[in-house]
Amino acid sequence: MAAHAEPSDRASLEAVWANPRGWRSLSSVNHSSLGLRFMITGFAFFLIAGVLAMVLRAQLARPEADFIGPAAYNQAFTMHGTMMMFLFAVPMLEGLAVYLMPKMLGARDLAFPRLSAFGYWCYLFGGLIITASLLFDVAPDTGWFMYTPLSNDVYSPGMNADFWLLGITFAEIAAVAAGVELAVSILRLRAHGMSLDRLPLFGWTILVTALMIVIGFPPLILGSILLELERAAGLPFFDIARGGDPLLWQHLFWLFGHPEVYIIFLPAAGVVSTVLPVFARRPLVGYRWVVVAVVTTGFISFGLWVHHMFTVGIPHLALAFFSAASMLVAVPTGIQLFAWLATLWLGRPVPRLPMLWLFGFVVIFVAGGLTGVMLALVPFNWQVHDTHFVVAHMHYVLVGGMLFPLFAGLYYWMPHFSGRMPSDRMGRWGFWLTFIGFNGTFLIMHWTGLLGMPRRVHTYTAGMGWDAPNLLSSIFGFVMAAGIAVVLIDFLLHARWGRRAPANPWQADTLEWAMPTPPPPFNFAALPEVDSRHPLWRGVSAAGATIAMGDAAADRAARRLPHARHGRRETLGVDPVSGIAREIIVLPGNSWLPLLAALGLAGVCLGLLFKVYLIAVVAVLVSLGLLLRWSWENGLAIDVIRTAPAGASDVTPAGLPLHPRTYDGPGRWGMGFTLLADASLYLSLIFGWLYLWTSAPQWIKPAQSPLPVAALLAVGVLVAFAALHHGRIVVSLRRERGVPADSRPLLRRALAVLVAGLLATGGLVAILATASLEPARNAHDAVMFVMLVYPLLHTGLGCLLTALQVLRVRQGLVGAHAPYEVAVLTLWWRFAAGTFWITAAALVLIPMAFGGLR
Amino acid sequence: MRAASAMHLFLGLTVWAVWFVAAYGGLSVACMAAAPPRDAGVLNGISIGLAVLTAATVVWLLMTGQALRRVLAQLPADAPPRDRFIGSVSSCLYFVAAAATLFVGLPVLVLSPCL
Repeated sequence: MAAHAEPSDRASLEAVWANPRGWRSLSSVNHSSLGLRFMITGFAFFLIAGVLAMVLRAQLARPEADFIGPAAYNQAFTMHGTMMMFLFAVPMLEGLAVYLMPKMLGARDLAFPRLSAFGYWCYLFGGLIITASLLFDVAPDTGWFMYTPLSNDVYSPGMNADFWLLGITFAEIAAVAAGVELAVSILRLRAHGMSLDRLPLFGWTILVTALMIVIGFPPLILGSILLELERAAGLPFFDIARGGDPLLWQHLFWLFGHPEVYIIFLPAAGVVSTVLPVFARRPLVGYRWVVVAVVTTGFISFGLWVHHMFTVGIPHLALAFFSAASMLVAVPTGIQLFAWLATLWLGRPVPRLPMLWLFGFVVIFVAGGLTGVMLALVPFNWQVHDTHFVVAHMHYVLVGGMLFPLFAGLYYWMPHFSGRMPSDRMGRWGFWLTFIGFNGTFLIMHWTGLLGMPRRVHTYTAGMGWDAPNLLSSIFGFVMAAGIAVVLIDFLLHARWGRRAPANPWQADTLEWAMPTPPPPFNFAALPEVDSRHPLWRGVSAAGATIAMGDAAADRAARRLPHARHGRRETLGVDPVSGIAREIIVLPGNSWLPLLAALGLAGVCLGLLFKVYLIAVVAVLVSLGLLLRWSWENGLAIDVIRTAPAGASDVTPAGLPLHPRTYDGPGRWGMGFTLLADASLYLSLIFGWLYLWTSAPQWIKPAQSPLPVAALLAVGVLVAFAALHHGRIVVSLRRERGVPADSRPLLRRALAVLVAGLLATGGLVAILATASLEPARNAHDAVMFVMLVYPLLHTGLGCLLTALQVLRVRQGLVGAHAPYEVAVLTLWWRFAAGTFWITAAALVLIPMAFGGLR
Repeated sequence: MRAASAMHLFLGLTVWAVWFVAAYGGLSVACMAAAPPRDAGVLNGISIGLAVLTAATVVWLLMTGQALRRVLAQLPADAPPRDRFIGSVSSCLYFVAAAATLFVGLPVLVLSPCL
């Protein structure tokens, strides 16, 4: 077993990783702080949304009640759903993952700490903007799914819907940023030796969830942009009279909305797969099967979205596809359930508090899953559509599948957060009140729905048979609220009066317990190395920060990065499959830039909301400036490059290069996943174009294309040149093998890319200016306009980044000794070129293919 | 074919997703372009085309999963456990994708396409 870090080593780590105190702590980028902030903020929104639920239940308790009127009721149910889904469920689970993932993986932080901070601030500001609407009685009131035409500017002329569209889109930046961050971190920042088959199951579920967020959120972001463009600028994407189709909104919303359910459930399933084996005192049965199930769920859950639209009039065969897929998705969930039951059966379960919540999860989630299979059947779905049966099913799935495992997880990791144990007695009271209250509310609500009571009505007349079930649901709703209150009071009180937690209080197997609690900002004084799936069940003390590997050779000791005397925050980068260490990743330190950039974006959001476009434009420029400043500095990477010795493909004492010297660092992976999100948004746009061409009831098409095809092709050639030429820069740098040669050829190539990019951007501007598009008059031209603005933004931003790269080459910050950033930007240009050619084909070929048909 | 390639972990279900989009999108476009008579049943160009597409996808997924199993069987005894893990999970995912394609595609044989 390797030695623990020397005191001076530890002091250097403490100095470099220290979190600022007082108001300066707002500049902190440490994942533990940010994970806790995400969770605490999530709980605050949860409480507000919970109070709204109680208001709804108070109104529905008696027939013809006038506790609140219909307008307030509409705002309350819309905000309850919106806040629970967007401001509580997803950020809460992401916060848990942000806090835990590096610790479980044996890393010191996430791959992009400043991005975590930026995401948090976007979430907070977006959430506050939406919540503020409640105070001024202008909260969104058209349902959490914002169906148009109800949500368009004709039927919802106030600011209510704008709060939703702008605020949620703003807050979603956080979700996508965290998705990218978590995916890259899980694949690239792990302990040496943690191959994919040793990845904790929480890691697998968060990896799949992160990728689902990256792919699933952009369709809604696109939908929100289009609907806001329709409301603010009159572009009629969803207006039938001008060639649009409101069903396109439903498709875009549910393309996000159904995967969202699994985005919420899968991390919770990961919590179950982590917590349950610890209390069953044995490894989970069927690790491989659970991995197969998690990956399968991630894919199949994207094939279900139309089951929310069974009543809108879609061909029966298409309904059958979605009905079958909806039934199918229950199978991988069932596999996980049987793995958990088998683990309990074969283990020696101990009835600790988190297990109680897991028991509640199993009972409620199985019931919710079964009503889900009922709803997958089209005829039954038609019968209960828009009734309280669906409300009950949804709460069984979401509360059973997310809230109960979440509370199990919070009780389990509470000693990690605070170093103290929660109260067993209060925890049990909280559980039973919540469990009884929940089932009393929602089991009965199935009955109310089957009796025909519709959703989203603020009251009902007496004598319909709905009086008694509604009264019971309301009474039990308040019992549940009391249960949640007890749990939250327990969480608050334990931090002050709880018994001090011993090391690894539950005798767990995962690495997060191999550190003191609460954890130091650097997590591990010396990075662990693992050779098993259950590193802490291998006979090593959990109090120490190192895991037995058998030898203490010098390079192995250095690979544990036991000090920070060089002044850098560092962690190991590994091969994504084998988990073998391949570089040292230099992480950025605390910074105000994420907060300032998020404030800038909040200014954009508010400027658009209040239609003061000058403020919005200024705020865009300020935000862009801050983000570019951030990218220029890029943490300490700039110092690494500047302090490089000549001929610098140097390696550290650990025998590994620092990541700015490599071609495949975390930034390239981050760009890859960002472009995956971008591709999802882009494909949703192409889907919209195709959908309107084939399905819009009153599609208006011009006699001939308003676009100059030759000019489009010329722009395509220029963008392709930029992409290919930028790729050649990487090839030529690789040839130099780390030895800085004359930088002039590199500079010439980068300048050539810049010129081609500028010409392409100018060409696109000219096409937009000269084409006879009338985007406010018909949906055809509106979609075409957006499809041209999309490549314009990509080539424009590509030029800006290339110009910065030219400057960096001139300053010696990019070259054979520091090739990292070139490979990142090449991906951008390739994406810009690929999407441009698909755009050109879609704009030219789809009208040719369908023009004769419609 | 390399058993330990991480690509196999997502290729099978990606093919399922592409098939799903092609089947749903193809059905919608084909019904707009050339809907068969309402009483044509399942003996029409659209249904037969979808059935052939589904069958071809299922066969390809089964064959790829089986090929991966054969490669897995030939791994040397001292191959890293992760290679065996990735290979076995991936082959299983190919079979899952085949089953998903078949199950979701079966209604093509029963329901008239454009009603």
